[in-house]
Amino acid sequence: MSMTTRRRLIASLLAGGAVIASAPLFAGQASAAEAGGPPLRDAADNDALNSSLERESRMVSTYRKVIVGLTENDLIAMTLILDHHVAYAQALTGYLAVDVTTPSSAPLASPAGSLTSVARQLAALEDQTATIHTDNLATIKGIDAAMLLASIVTVEARHSAALELVAGASPIAAVGN
Amino acid sequence: MLRSSGALAATSAVLAACSSTKPSVARIGESPTTVKLEDLAVTDVVLLRTAMSMETMATAMLSNPAVTALASKDTASVIAAFAADHTSHLEDLQVLISARNGEAYSETNAKLMQAYGQTALDLVASGKLPEDTLALTLAVETLIAATYQYFVSLAVQPALRADLVRLGARSSRRAAVAAQLINGGTGGFAPANDKGGIALVATLPGAFGSLSAVQVQLGPVNEVGSRTTVLMDTPSLNSLIY
Repeated sequence: MSMTTRRRLIASLLAGGAVIASAPLFAGQASAAEAGGPPLRDAADNDALNSSLERESRMVSTYRKVIVGLTENDLIAMTLILDHHVAYAQALTGYLAVDVTTPSSAPLASPAGSLTSVARQLAALEDQTATIHTDNLATIKGIDAAMLLASIVTVEARHSAALELVAGASPIAAVGN
Repeated sequence: MLRSSGALAATSAVLAACSSTKPSVARIGESPTTVKLEDLAVTDVVLLRTAMSMETMATAMLSNPAVTALASKDTASVIAAFAADHTSHLEDLQVLISARNGEAYSETNAKLMQAYGQTALDLVASGKLPEDTLALTLAVETLIAATYQYFVSLAVQPALRADLVRLGARSSRRAAVAAQLINGGTGGFAPANDKGGIALVATLPGAFGSLSAVQVQLGPVNEVGSRTTVLMDTPSLNSLIY
């Protein structure tokens, strides 16, 4: 065996030993990267999220009409729900960023009169909105968008039940039984 | 050659020492050995089984004699209906588990019952305050809604996420009704304080569903004029039903 070949052999053995020794150090990172869980976000979700955004935009316009003429606690309560829908629209717009499509801002209804008289109609709109988001959840792949919609539906369910009570429903009826 | 092979040998030695699983620090006397926990995957079935344990726990808490004996006539029927709703959710969850070849779970979540469930019931029993029954109901419904919301972040199948949110929304509705029974009317929608600066129960405490611990004050007033605050957390890795 020549000197050059012997050098190469020793160097290879040492390098191989280094690789084997260091393998356990990186094994944890490798397995974590290969976990293969759902993606945090997926461009394929954008259409569904834009439809959720459009619904929220229209809910904002609806509540802007509702608060006209209300006073005191009724005004505070409906302004609070209006603010919630504004926050949902802003959150979805922020999430979609450059992929956002300009949503319609046409009101879903033109509720007029006392809050008691329009509360049931608003509760129905809240239910429909929550259903739209939940149906979208069933198609969305990205975890971040799914978590956002879940946090919205959780509170819209509260909106609906509270509005049912304002409309005169019994507590058991207001939970949807 | 000697220089390069020497450097490589040193590198090998350092890396080999780092990769060792044995403790490198000398010890005097006996030391307990660490038992590595078993690797358990959080699957969709695990989430559903845990949801069953939470629904069972909610039923057990809302129909506990400490609650039913104290509830007023008007609220007793509502709380009983809420407890029955949680029982009906078990059937929905069983269907979802069966579809995934999983095994249903019929017990309460023992770890969370021990962590805060039993404490809450003991405080209601010792305080003997009828208003505690609704406060506990609100806390339990808020907790169950938050649990389903949290599970959305762990579920793998998108269709299951929607099913979880549907179940959570039902608890959310019940939470709103419980809040209105405590502090009714549109004046109770927004967060507010009473004249003494104490926070009142709000039907709509935030724009987005919260995942932080649910806080509820229960039990008798102590010598400094305050009551015990119970913190209820959603299930985590050590309280999932694998």
